[in-house]
Amino acid sequence: MAEVQLLDVEKRYGQVLAVPRQSLTVVDGEFLVLLGPSGCGKTTTMRMIAGLEDITSGDILIGGERVNDKPPKDRDIAMVFQNYGLYPHMTVEQNIGYPLRLRGIERTERARRVREVAQKVELGALLARRPSELSGGQRQRVALARAIVRTPKIFLMDEPLSNLDAKLRVTMRAELKHLHHELGITTVYVTHDQIEAMTLASRIAVMREGRIVQLDTPKRIYSEPADLFVADFIGSPSMNLIEGSIENGRFMAEGISLPVGVADRKDVVLGLRPEELEIVPGPDAPVQGQLYALELTGDATLATVRAGDAFVCARGAADFSAEIDSICHLAPKQGCRLHLFDRVSGNRLAA
Amino acid sequence: MTRHFTWWAERALLLLISAVVLFPISWMFLTAFKRPRDAYSLSFDFTPTLQNFVTVFSSPWNLGSMVVNSAVIASTTVAIAVPCAALAAYSFSRFRVPGRKFYFFLVLSTQFIPAVVIVLPFFIMFRSLGLLDTRIALIVVNLAIVTPFVIWMIKGFIDAIPTDSEEAAMIDGASRFRVIRDIVLPMAAPGILTSAIFCFILTWNEFLFGLILTRRNAVTLPVGLVSFRTERGDLWELMSAAGVMITVPIFIMALLIQKHFTRGMTAGAIK
Repeated sequence: MAEVQLLDVEKRYGQVLAVPRQSLTVVDGEFLVLLGPSGCGKTTTMRMIAGLEDITSGDILIGGERVNDKPPKDRDIAMVFQNYGLYPHMTVEQNIGYPLRLRGIERTERARRVREVAQKVELGALLARRPSELSGGQRQRVALARAIVRTPKIFLMDEPLSNLDAKLRVTMRAELKHLHHELGITTVYVTHDQIEAMTLASRIAVMREGRIVQLDTPKRIYSEPADLFVADFIGSPSMNLIEGSIENGRFMAEGISLPVGVADRKDVVLGLRPEELEIVPGPDAPVQGQLYALELTGDATLATVRAGDAFVCARGAADFSAEIDSICHLAPKQGCRLHLFDRVSGNRLAA
Repeated sequence: MTRHFTWWAERALLLLISAVVLFPISWMFLTAFKRPRDAYSLSFDFTPTLQNFVTVFSSPWNLGSMVVNSAVIASTTVAIAVPCAALAAYSFSRFRVPGRKFYFFLVLSTQFIPAVVIVLPFFIMFRSLGLLDTRIALIVVNLAIVTPFVIWMIKGFIDAIPTDSEEAAMIDGASRFRVIRDIVLPMAAPGILTSAIFCFILTWNEFLFGLILTRRNAVTLPVGLVSFRTERGDLWELMSAAGVMITVPIFIMALLIQKHFTRGMTAGAIK
């Protein structure tokens, strides 16, 4: 177990700046998720911690020890790769036992520990098979077992669930969470899936173009996104973002008039989460427009309303129904949180 | 209708190509078992004999020593070229060294030089070294010819191996050499084996340098073949028998490794 510190770390490929200078501390025992769209530098950041990628400048500390010049093998880490990185010519048992073999642990002890871990991830019956004879989920478990067979200082996981089908992903997600709880090992986890990030993380670092734009608990990232990018990225369906201005303490846009109690200004973006909007009958509702689409998700109906140029999505009751193109009214629920952002800079405006 | 036609056309073309390729080879095999007076007849009706093989292995032809020369030269070349080439290929494939494309081009550019251009300088070099008509000379020359080619070939195979498994091994605690030994070599084994066979065949069949650099002691099989053109005319039946001796090892090898070509070792490494 250990703390991971990135101090003024920067990564360039020739002239291209992949990850600009920044610092990040992963607290001992926490589950930190690096979240962002593809190409945002999250994998590069993880690979720098692993030692698979050199850093251009700065320092990386694992457990207080500077590891810049240490090869991956001396960093005492374990990693689960997106494509699992299994050894195709070895059996499952040999795959899981490989880290132990490298540490010179003798055969019987090795077999015992491999069996123990295999039980934990429910691979016990498959030890003699080769990776090519396993399903995606089973391969994933082998990769996981290989990572936990010894107790490393930190776990690194690079989109470990992205190759699994939707159902298996949910199961494995719970298993990962349980495993982290059980072992308590500092974990850095890379994903572009915001639901994975929300469900797993102790803290999330949202990244954009190499930079960490917000680092906080899932709850706060959800309830107080630092800028338009985070607001748009977190939440499913994503937050409604409507351009407008504030006049006489009300947010104004075509078809929308909503009291916000903030000083007047132009170039404002209002953020409203679909789950905090409701469909109301009244003609004097803050949001009014034509019904554009209705989507039933099972437990709710997503209604998309077109107000001027903006599309506003609301999560209504499952039994809601109306004609497409009919006039529809939306209103924020009681205690709804309004998010206001500067349209130009994208930054959150203090409420 | 058209699909039917394509199917037949395909088969016919394949048969034709096979016939063109296989005819001279089968003719050689037949001639090897003919008596001298049958050698020129086009008839399949002849009494087979093993006498030709007895003749080529005895004086003055002494094919036996040529077999030994060829075998020693080819296997030594393979034994040195393939491990060196595998390491070089790995480096070319994995390390982002500045100018590595240029270096790789340099290695390959050695293949652009026609052998006839350098055979004389080689002759003079080996003469001053006192290595003419030795196996060492031919091993050195063959290494120079074959290694760049094998590097290029193995690099192709290693390029095709995903780096995930290697990186996983490094994180699991393996050093670079351990990674190569435990992960890369087993995964590239079919490719390396294929390259080794190619290397062996190239060396085994090498003619020009063998002809110029040897006289009596280090003569190889392809060079020996020429000695059956005598003042008594071309001894086709003996030449064919010697030809069979050259061809058969390659045949056997091809059969033995056939299954390695098809076994997809990388299957299952990644999703």
